[in-house]
Amino acid sequence: MTDDRDVLRDVWFGRIPTCFTLSQDEITEREAEPYYLLLPRVSYLMLVTDKAKKHFQKVMRQEDVGEMWFEYEGLPLKWHYPIGLLFDLHASNTALPWNIIVHFKNFPETELLHCLTKDAVEAHFMSCIKEADALKHKSQVINEMQKKDHKQLWMGLQNDKFDQFWAINRKLMEYPTDEGGFRYVPFRIYQPLNERPFIQKLFRPISGDGQPHNLGDLLKEMFPAAVTPEGRILILH
Amino acid sequence: QSFSMPISCAQQTVWRKQIVHQLTERSKRELEDFKHYEQAVEQSVWIKKGAM
Repeated sequence: MTDDRDVLRDVWFGRIPTCFTLSQDEITEREAEPYYLLLPRVSYLMLVTDKAKKHFQKVMRQEDVGEMWFEYEGLPLKWHYPIGLLFDLHASNTALPWNIIVHFKNFPETELLHCLTKDAVEAHFMSCIKEADALKHKSQVINEMQKKDHKQLWMGLQNDKFDQFWAINRKLMEYPTDEGGFRYVPFRIYQPLNERPFIQKLFRPISGDGQPHNLGDLLKEMFPAAVTPEGRILILH
Repeated sequence: QSFSMPISCAQQTVWRKQIVHQLTERSKRELEDFKHYEQAVEQSVWIKKGAM
């Protein structure tokens, strides 16, 4: 863990410079200037956009403000995907800053889930953590934690507190030395085209003959197209 | 005793170093010209002042 600490910190403190612009469909009382922010890659849009929301609402009448949602080049952005994933999936080839359009009306009901409060993000995040622990430790670690540990994990993410988050998350990443690894490796392979679902299957960290699997082995088995000579662009999160 | 990942010499391979390098390069690319941007999440800082 200590050797990986620098990597963990680099991943945690990854930021996407972003320019938020109010949609031209919105009715405003005066012109809305764009708003610039550094967004944490590991967080979620609805957790880190309060400042942009306030900025745009200042130029709007209260009755014109509906549920906020975001769009990039015509594509509604899923709030339940981490920010870094959204950027790499849809915008990694574009120049920075990342230009996101902000909407307060015409919510795309068929494409996005509603997110009226941050509780929805918390529920989704904790559900992902629980799913991963079910694969890694048959849910033993998450079930042995107290409610306050779950809260600390969540508050660490929400408030961008690396130490607070990892004090709890390290327990979820541990396994006894004699067991050789997690039961299964929790992973998802996302594909850039929006209509394709992510790939998620059971995958053991050790092969039948006791050899440790690496990422290449996982890709060969789960998504062989990624390792063909023609080459695909693979981005790790 | 438990630990997160087996830290062995095998892990300190070119492959691992390459990933670390790519991560550093990514951070540089995405942050270098934008350090003046406002952070989306403010980090509260405690400042202790003493008279002594």
